[in-house]
Amino acid sequence: MKYITDYRKVDGYVIERLAKIVGDANVLTLPHERFIRAASAAPFPLHRWEDHAPDVVVLPGSTEEVAEVLKLANELRIPVVPRAAGTGLADGAVPLRKGIVVDIKRMKNILEIDEENMCVTVQTGINNNTLNLELNKRGYWWPFDPASYPCSVIGGNMGTSAWSLIGGVSGHIRDLVRSFVHVLPTGKVIRVGEGGGRKISKSSTGYTLKYLFFGHQGTLGITTEATLEMFPKPEVEFPAFFGYRSFMDAWKNALKMAKSGLRTMATHIIFDEWKVEALRRDDEAYIPLPEHIKSVIATCFYGTEAEVKGASERIFEIAAKDGGIYLGEELSEGDWASRHDRYHIAYHGRHIDGQVGTYSWHCEDAAVNYSAIPYVRERWHALVAEYKQKYDIFDDMGGFYYNNNPFKQWGDYLSEIDVFIDEYHLTEELWQKWVELKRKIAEVVLEVGGSISACHGGTRPGDVELVVEKELDPGVYEIMQMIKRNLDPNNIMNPGKYMLDSAYGG
Amino acid sequence: MMSTAYTYKPWYEERWKDDWVPEEVAVDCYATFACRHKFCREVCPVYQETGNETHSSYAFHVALLAVARKYAKLHELGDTFTYCLQCGACQLRCPTTLFTGDFYKITNEHNVLVTKTRKELIDLGFKFKGADAMIDNLTKVVNDTDAGRLPVAEWAKDLNLPETGDVILFVDYFMATQMTNILRLVATVLKKAEVKFGIVKDPKPVFTYELDHLGEKGIAYAKHNMEALKKAGAKKVIVPDPHVFVSLTKEYPRLLKEDPPFDVVYVSDFVAELIKDGKLKPEKSVKKKVSYHDSCMLNKVSGIWESPREILKCIPGIEFVDEDHVSQWYYCCGNGASEVRSFKTLHEDLSYRIGLKRLRRALDLGVTTLAVTCPHCNEQFSEVKVKANLNIEILDIFEILADSLGLR
Repeated sequence: MKYITDYRKVDGYVIERLAKIVGDANVLTLPHERFIRAASAAPFPLHRWEDHAPDVVVLPGSTEEVAEVLKLANELRIPVVPRAAGTGLADGAVPLRKGIVVDIKRMKNILEIDEENMCVTVQTGINNNTLNLELNKRGYWWPFDPASYPCSVIGGNMGTSAWSLIGGVSGHIRDLVRSFVHVLPTGKVIRVGEGGGRKISKSSTGYTLKYLFFGHQGTLGITTEATLEMFPKPEVEFPAFFGYRSFMDAWKNALKMAKSGLRTMATHIIFDEWKVEALRRDDEAYIPLPEHIKSVIATCFYGTEAEVKGASERIFEIAAKDGGIYLGEELSEGDWASRHDRYHIAYHGRHIDGQVGTYSWHCEDAAVNYSAIPYVRERWHALVAEYKQKYDIFDDMGGFYYNNNPFKQWGDYLSEIDVFIDEYHLTEELWQKWVELKRKIAEVVLEVGGSISACHGGTRPGDVELVVEKELDPGVYEIMQMIKRNLDPNNIMNPGKYMLDSAYGG
Repeated sequence: MMSTAYTYKPWYEERWKDDWVPEEVAVDCYATFACRHKFCREVCPVYQETGNETHSSYAFHVALLAVARKYAKLHELGDTFTYCLQCGACQLRCPTTLFTGDFYKITNEHNVLVTKTRKELIDLGFKFKGADAMIDNLTKVVNDTDAGRLPVAEWAKDLNLPETGDVILFVDYFMATQMTNILRLVATVLKKAEVKFGIVKDPKPVFTYELDHLGEKGIAYAKHNMEALKKAGAKKVIVPDPHVFVSLTKEYPRLLKEDPPFDVVYVSDFVAELIKDGKLKPEKSVKKKVSYHDSCMLNKVSGIWESPREILKCIPGIEFVDEDHVSQWYYCCGNGASEVRSFKTLHEDLSYRIGLKRLRRALDLGVTTLAVTCPHCNEQFSEVKVKANLNIEILDIFEILADSLGLR
């Protein structure tokens, strides 16, 4: 266990050394500066806040500074947790062993816009929206659209292997990064791409290591610079929402959409009965649906005007086959436009007696094949109902099933159940009940051959044990341990995540 | 239009301690922590410059939650709460405000929380860096006001304006003494439209969100202004300074616990109507390529953004290049809500960079002129443009309108 407890404490000497690297103003030690960087966006054990507050926060401004910080931490053996936007839903940025938080958000410059080779190079602390504001001016588009689009940053998107709501036309973060600069746990700086070539998007030279650095949750170092795809701005964005009399009608119809072959279709998303009910109940921005509508499919198309016009005619025909009725321009456009804002509102959860409370949000993001969705949905809602009834700190805010697979519309769906949790009144006992519920939700997914997380990561309590012990092939996890031990010999990078202390005999 | 229900928080009057804030504050702060979307952070003009998320509404709320939970003490917050322009972007972008404002009558009141925290820190004797400068700036205006040294009615002395009437044009010392030329143009335009209006000749400073730092004196000032307006018989109060507008519509109702018994109308709303009704006919061509800067107090805090654009669009000769008001939630001139340049005094370079970024965005649009309708934005941009040597003209919309009406 020496690798778990044998870390150096952050003392005056460490602070001084850090200040020499990043400057006094960029070393933060005050309690509130540390406590505000303890949680990410997933349910958090607020009653044990202190356990996750780092000892010190640094705000580096360059790759060189990040490298120096990691060299120092490696030399002195101090845990380092990279923090990007802090909007992740798998606790990647939540420190488990205190130490140094490296907050990358000062590194937010656009370094180069290459209009001939259609790529843009950025520091990884830039957020998606800001990047687009710059590119849009020149007629280009960064087509990465996670739910956290207005606030998440490229480095965090890569570190969690995040996913785009419009992946059907433009892929996900893995597909959108050509190469990047990465600082390894020892402080060594490498450039990683498909093969060589900073701006090359296809190469079969060497091992394809690029994907190793997507979704590592900060356990393998810190990415500081990335060369990204740049798309021409589409002529048209066309959202179309359809209402159905039952979830099963919508589900049946979704398969027809999946097989439609429409290349401009960015997504189709099924809203289940619980979701429609929750929106109807208290989301004022949601335009009320007729009562007989129990389920919705949202679609959205991007492309040239001619392409989208053709596709829109076809999608109306397909929807009608299972009784899908078009919900109108106002609802479709309004709801699509507010897609980043509405998935969780702190005041929308209800206690059993119907009273509104302040709730945090859990968003399940399992990958589940089409055929298993109806079963998973029923099991999940039954589980949440059981826990809500027993403990009254949860609320069921319904489910979404997204097919935004990269460049296609079929196969597995990101299946989401939104559970609201009152963290303010958490006790250790209730927290353990939450972890138990979380585990049961994840177990349903494994039962049907799915994956626990499509895009957040499997590093949270309740998930991580199942990921390590059940989901991943034992041989695969063994390779993860080997990689971790070799790249991070002193176990300083985000120690404890993915239970990788095991790689050091812990 | 005005509603105390939105701005009143029951915790406001309770005194805090170094290691204690009222439970209601903690619950409010938890609502922001529970959200964790952090849209408030991204829209913040200060954070956009510093990249330090301690400078965000999210962090302010969570810091106070940490105090409530005994993980931090108030005095340890240091000067964190000075890194705020009180521009209102965060509280507007907050999902709580956006999606529960109408539904549950719950909004995020970040600006009020910031003043409250600063005030508690000072009252508890924890003078953060810059506290003295802020209070000094306020005190100077208070002393000048009380000694009668501010010539607040001088601007109108040859205009023959009565002190009573259904319609009262109301400003405080800032515009009356420091933007006199614009104020006179406003009066001239109103006269041209044959609006019968009066003025209050002894207004007290409004100080927007900072009024509270004056304690009883602040309440007395607010009461004085309200009484003066009532005494004048005002049914409609026209305000040409967005900071004064926020005081009359939000801060006075909150502090005095009563809605004003008259309508408060921003001058651009009033004048846009006059143009629509044909009472003003801007006919002279003004050949300029113009964009418009949304004042934070107007756009973000008061939801007024259409009328200044309407006015500019009906002036012949103007090529109007708009940047929409939602994009402008991200902007600020760099002065913030203070009437006495508190943010500028405390963070001179940061304030300058925020202003400079805004002007560069206007230049990106290829315009020669940036139109404003706020005397504080006007002052700030005029300073920034000189310091940065930028070739851009800053004009109040009333200067452009007066030219088109042939009044200059």
